[in-house]
Amino acid sequence: MINGTGITKTFKQRGNVLGRREVPALRGVDFEIGKGGSASFIGESGCGKTTLGRIIAGLETYDSGEIEIDGTPMSPLKLKHRQPHFRKIQMIHQDPYSALNPTRTIYQTLQAPLALRAGQTGRSKGWIDERAAEVLSLVGLDPGTVLSRYPHQLSGGMRQRVVIARALTVDPEMLVADEAVSMIDVSLRLGILALLKDLRERLGVSVLFITHDVATARYIGGDGELYVIYRGQVVERGPVDTIIANPVHPYTQSLLSAIPVLHGLELPGEEPVVPLESLTENQSESGCLFAARCPFRGDGCTDERPLLRVTEGVPQEHACYYPQRRSVIARPMSEV
Amino acid sequence: MADQAPGVRIDGLTVVYKTPAGELPAVRGISLTLEPGTITGIVGESGSGKSTLALSLLNAVQPPGRIAAGSVEIDGLGDVVGFAGEQLRKARGAHIGYVFQAAQNSLNPLKTVGKQLLDLGRSHGVADLRGLVREARELLGRMGLDGARVLDSHQHELSGGMRQRVGIMLALVLNAHLVVLDEPTTALDMITQANILKIVREVHAERGLTTLVITHDIGVVAEVADRLAVMYGGRLVEQGPTREVLGSPRHPYTRGLIRAIPRLVGDIDEARALPGRPPTLVTVPKEGCVFRERCELRMDVCDTVDPSVVADGSRIVACHAVTVKEHAS
Amino acid sequence: MSDTLIPETGMSTSATMRRNFWLGVWRVMKRKPSRMAGVVIIVGFAFMGVFGPMFFPDHLPDNPNAITQPPSWAHWFGTDPQGRDVVALVITGSRYVLLSAAVTALITVVFGTSLGLFSGFKRGRWDTVLMRITDMKLTIPGLPLLLVLATVWKFGSPIQMGLVLGLLGWGGVARAVRAQTLSLRERGFIEAARGLGLSTKHIISKELLPSMAPYIAMNMLIAVTGAVYAQVGLFFLGVLPYESDNWGVMLNLAVFQAGAMITTNALGYLLAPLLAILLLTLGIVLVVDAMDEIFNPRLREE
Repeated sequence: MINGTGITKTFKQRGNVLGRREVPALRGVDFEIGKGGSASFIGESGCGKTTLGRIIAGLETYDSGEIEIDGTPMSPLKLKHRQPHFRKIQMIHQDPYSALNPTRTIYQTLQAPLALRAGQTGRSKGWIDERAAEVLSLVGLDPGTVLSRYPHQLSGGMRQRVVIARALTVDPEMLVADEAVSMIDVSLRLGILALLKDLRERLGVSVLFITHDVATARYIGGDGELYVIYRGQVVERGPVDTIIANPVHPYTQSLLSAIPVLHGLELPGEEPVVPLESLTENQSESGCLFAARCPFRGDGCTDERPLLRVTEGVPQEHACYYPQRRSVIARPMSEV
Repeated sequence: MADQAPGVRIDGLTVVYKTPAGELPAVRGISLTLEPGTITGIVGESGSGKSTLALSLLNAVQPPGRIAAGSVEIDGLGDVVGFAGEQLRKARGAHIGYVFQAAQNSLNPLKTVGKQLLDLGRSHGVADLRGLVREARELLGRMGLDGARVLDSHQHELSGGMRQRVGIMLALVLNAHLVVLDEPTTALDMITQANILKIVREVHAERGLTTLVITHDIGVVAEVADRLAVMYGGRLVEQGPTREVLGSPRHPYTRGLIRAIPRLVGDIDEARALPGRPPTLVTVPKEGCVFRERCELRMDVCDTVDPSVVADGSRIVACHAVTVKEHAS
Repeated sequence: MSDTLIPETGMSTSATMRRNFWLGVWRVMKRKPSRMAGVVIIVGFAFMGVFGPMFFPDHLPDNPNAITQPPSWAHWFGTDPQGRDVVALVITGSRYVLLSAAVTALITVVFGTSLGLFSGFKRGRWDTVLMRITDMKLTIPGLPLLLVLATVWKFGSPIQMGLVLGLLGWGGVARAVRAQTLSLRERGFIEAARGLGLSTKHIISKELLPSMAPYIAMNMLIAVTGAVYAQVGLFFLGVLPYESDNWGVMLNLAVFQAGAMITTNALGYLLAPLLAILLLTLGIVLVVDAMDEIFNPRLREE
């Protein structure tokens, strides 16, 4: 459906008098998401996962590299001609409170994009109303009670469903969910995740899931690709289940080790990995980007940057000179 | 003045908020004991009343809310519900340290951390300000930060995790032995969260504190707390030792909540969403069980009678279905 | 009974939407008696400006036997040095004042809002250029400029006066609206609208403007008071010819001709226009208080 090669992006921050500071957000990222497939980006905040998601949704430009949507390369196209392609990819924002206009009813919110389509395809006003009710039913809301409401009259979970319904008005091929459940009550989160999973199965919509919680990524699709991103570089890539079971990059291992253990239900992993220091802004640019924090740093790690590749005996791609499986995740007590 | 961990006994606490529909309870008839030297975790969703409960510990519920009934006895202080004015201000900070929700953003952006520390010291009449700074630097060093540098920094120069640690330092620096952490890790990354939780555990043990952690995330409580209390619709529905509650939850809400968390291993499809949604101040049922709308064990009696709190050893549950089952067995 | 059916099925037509809006406005106004009082005052002034002068002849009858009289039953606020009734003067003078104030408010808001919206939405080079112009305009001191203009222009027509004051006043609104636009455009719903391919016209008129409506409405009302002060001040200073009936002219004459500072007889002549200005300002302040609730559906529907 969409693939990208060598995507880079550098943000220019206002620095001191001597000039601007350049912050590399993405350093040559490749990705590929098939029709009806799923992918997840995980990493710490500031690792570039959100920037990449926004580039994929057409909300941000990239500096170099190429993105192809359904086989059409984007960079030769003018902005105006690029937009219809990117419209197939809709973003679900993290905050369902700012994602809906507080001054417009749900009907008005859904009607605007539908009217645009009706105008283009010569459909009637009746179709708009029908379709508005239809997309709401698709996301598990009752059109009769919801359509005339304002966003403030709905709970966080319902709002996020409306946001998804609005994305569905343009018949997207892919949804980009950026931390889509982190601001929703815990007991309602799984409902939203189940909805995304369901839309994927029923409508064949691809789902790109951006999160810091690997377990939710697993819920959307264990068969999907997991991209572990660190400081703008993909450091490990492979099927979600494979990486969770056998992570080889120390960064992935630290992410997985940090997931809270439900003591009483689970036993902690045997070899948890804790980074040597926390992520700071001025970490070294030479060699492996994770080297400064890596407890297993060895010869050559600070000389040349390891690139994403496949090595013998490791099923997934990784960017580490010393890939080593470690048992880092908690196991349920029932299985021990 | 006790220089060791105080115990806290909350008894029959009810906090009401004034709304156009009359005074509605955000917290209703809650009794909870914090044993000296333990970490207690309170888990609840939005509108469960967990933050209101935490504020009551400081007698800091803001209008339109007020404490309508009950008492909060703190060792060495007495019943803080009766406190007012200067007495209350002194108790906050010196006895009770509070790390606010979104502590990441609760620092003054215009002043350095050090200046804010001195302000805090002066307002509490600390004579030895040098000693205070030394203590702060030690605490920050203990949490893995360069104390001197952090005290010279403004808020924007610190990362989210660093700000959270500064918040903890400010709560502890006046030698408080009762500490309340409201959502200590919200909006932090997994690695930073794990780091902060480790610090909370270690500092708690080293300084001999009684700690209360308020969160929506059961994982956070599982990592740090000795005891776990679950709140729903202003009521405490279940409490007990963390491992026991997580290992064999009794209240259907606790069970549902644990089942709603996707895990890394095991059959992912076992994760189930809880039906319905959490009640708000206005929609919470006035009589009967507050959870019945979403409950799979609902019985007729749940509609009319509020389940009473039943203790079974160290476990406490408020559920008709659980009580019935125990009588049967 | 199709009216009741429509909201139930949720297919609210724009007509019922509009009706709901005005019902909401009515609810908001009823919430505080002070707001109703404000509305009554403003409607009263509007009525006075539009119809008031029709009840009086073009030239008010003067009475040489009753010059500068203190208040009495016949003349509630006394008479002026030509023996004309002060109340009649306030009413006939209101049209100029209110009409020019309305023109000022309209120009300030329309000009300031469109410029601010355009600048904030386009950003980049357009923004820089427009905001530099705005800044330059903000540095021009208004009063001296008006004094200079008054030497070449007579401001005989209220529209002219409104135009000049309006063109002097849009800077603040433009800056404020731009700031609001910049912060709103980062919000999720604006980004979503762009992602859905909705037109810029739709985004500006349907998504951005309603969110800023309370702000714009407040600015408009406050611009009215500002304009009243400015022109009354000009006339009071006497830099403009007394060709038109105006509250400012009255104030000027009360002080410099009737000697309100020396004799109590002219006190009514001085107080009447001042009271009118005070009352108008009060009405506006009372109504401004409701703007937030009117345009915010959460506060409106409660």
